[in-house]
Amino acid sequence: MIKDPIITARDVNVFYGDKLALNGINLDVPRHKVTSLIGPSGCGKSTFLRSINRMNDLVDICRVEGDIEIEGKNIYDKDVDVVALRAHVGMVFQKPNPFPKSIFENVIYGPKIHGMVKSKTDAEEIVETSLRRAGLWKEVADRLQEPGTSLSGGQQQRLCIARAIAVKPSIILMDEPASALDPIATAVIEELIDELREKYTIIIVTHSMQQAARVSQRTAFFHMGDLVEAGPTKELFTTPKDERTQNYISGRIG
Amino acid sequence: MIELFTTAEKHLRKRHRSEWRFRWLGRLAILFSLGFLLIMLVSITSLGKGALSRAEIALEVDLSGAETLEDVNPKKSVRTALFATFPEVTDRSERRDLLGLLSADSSYELVRQIKNNPALLGETPTLWFTASDNIDLYTKGEVDISLPEDRRRLKDNTVGWVQTLESRDALRKVFNTAFFTSGDSREPELAGIFSALVGSILSLTVCFALSFPLGIMAALYLEEFSSKSRWSDFIEVNINNLAAVPSIVFGLLGMAIFLNTFGLPRSSPLVGGMVLALMTLPTIIIASRAALRSVPPSIREAALGVGATRVQTTFHHVLPLAMPGMLTGAIVGMARALGETAPLIMIGMVAFIVDVPKGLTDAATSLPVQIFLWADSSERAFLEKTAAAIMVLLALLVVMNIVAIVLRKKFEHRY
Repeated sequence: MIKDPIITARDVNVFYGDKLALNGINLDVPRHKVTSLIGPSGCGKSTFLRSINRMNDLVDICRVEGDIEIEGKNIYDKDVDVVALRAHVGMVFQKPNPFPKSIFENVIYGPKIHGMVKSKTDAEEIVETSLRRAGLWKEVADRLQEPGTSLSGGQQQRLCIARAIAVKPSIILMDEPASALDPIATAVIEELIDELREKYTIIIVTHSMQQAARVSQRTAFFHMGDLVEAGPTKELFTTPKDERTQNYISGRIG
Repeated sequence: MIELFTTAEKHLRKRHRSEWRFRWLGRLAILFSLGFLLIMLVSITSLGKGALSRAEIALEVDLSGAETLEDVNPKKSVRTALFATFPEVTDRSERRDLLGLLSADSSYELVRQIKNNPALLGETPTLWFTASDNIDLYTKGEVDISLPEDRRRLKDNTVGWVQTLESRDALRKVFNTAFFTSGDSREPELAGIFSALVGSILSLTVCFALSFPLGIMAALYLEEFSSKSRWSDFIEVNINNLAAVPSIVFGLLGMAIFLNTFGLPRSSPLVGGMVLALMTLPTIIIASRAALRSVPPSIREAALGVGATRVQTTFHHVLPLAMPGMLTGAIVGMARALGETAPLIMIGMVAFIVDVPKGLTDAATSLPVQIFLWADSSERAFLEKTAAAIMVLLALLVVMNIVAIVLRKKFEHRY
């Protein structure tokens, strides 16, 4: 479908107990692009996102079938270490969830547990680069010891992005990262996503079709557990091939 | 339109009235409980304050012939001194009554005073001796001398002697330090709370050291690691049921297992603490699980999302946030353990213990058991001791709560 994808999903089925949540998903995700997953609530887009870093493992009744390959390696193979996988595939959640610790601690926690910090200068450097990349450095440089929870919602979300990129992932998953933010903070995050594309592959789940159109190069439309259609964002929004996609983007369903 | 408006208002008034009623019922309930608390505190303190003082009698003891402590016959010296104070008493039975003025321990008191101040030897010093419980009660106005002689604790002759002593300034009231420094005694004027207090503190230390880590580990495993299955449901139901098991059952279990099977020392704070720990564990587990459940799942997701293992997630992020709640649970459990008598009776901590326990395996008793023993005692003078012991128990409870609050505040400050 596309050349040199970083993630390839083949015939992915996800079950919650007996309920089929995702039905035979086949999707390629291009490198250094933003791919957005859209669709009505309960269509399975978040479930798919959480299968990519195996966050679904935490749900006792969740079962995943099929292959999800990252750089050619099936992440559901027995020899895959989830901890290493999650360092490689970062995640930003819907609600900003900084640790109830200082800004500095928030960013350095991941690198610390992965043994990436050898000295104090290392730590300071990692914190500064991560915060710079997340566009937060200027705002918090002089108050790194203040609690992360004292920041505004938009700043907290950028702190979470800094925390995710501090462990040097190649892929960042974003689960509706701007849905809890006001329009101005949302614009800042969207701009940031566009910048991050240079270094990372980004997959973003969003409810807003405008957002998908603004930030992503490729879009995949999910509906009731099926992947209906995937393609370049512009094409998908202007000339959808499937009737369901047409109905969704024109506001008739969803 | 107007009709509609008025009916609505009628209805509204009814709703307001019910709200007003509910508020006042709530306030009344609080007022009632505060009132009862006040009544309890006032009655206990008014009863117990008597135990904080005791009567002493001054005697001129002739030690002129003694050069060392061995030369002194303490019992005889005190006797002679007492008889010398009242030379007019010669009758044998009256002299026996006269000896009743002093506490049974007076000869030891003499030895103690000489040991503290050897310069007394060879002199004829005036020394103070603890008066017997009846004299003590009399000085506190607890003896009604308007009653006929055979219906009160003090005979007419004794009352006369006491009044003589008072007129000679040979009777005084002092702060009863012995109550806080000595162990139990058959004589109310000598009985103290210290051994029971130490017993309680030792037992509670053992209880806390066992139940807090065990309870937290159990709660952490059940809440954070185990997968939901029929087996974990079964465990959960059982833990909840254990929290409601009467405490005496834990005492029986302790007796059967710790004393009879393991052969641990009877009446010891070690076994007492272990039994109390069994009793406290379910409470701590339930409270800790509730505290863990109240930690937002987003914190776990955040930690796991950056690649923390489950153990790292739990110990770095979840546990610190749950700690205040766990401490609250622990303090509720410990407070219950502090007031527990029944299981301790089963393992022999009800014994009459005079010595202050020096270690975990010494025989000891505990505050509530001591209160129970004194309350059960026939001596009238133990009444005020009972109330005073309850005050000590309440004070310990307050101290424990303050410690818990301080600890909780400390953990909460780590934002």
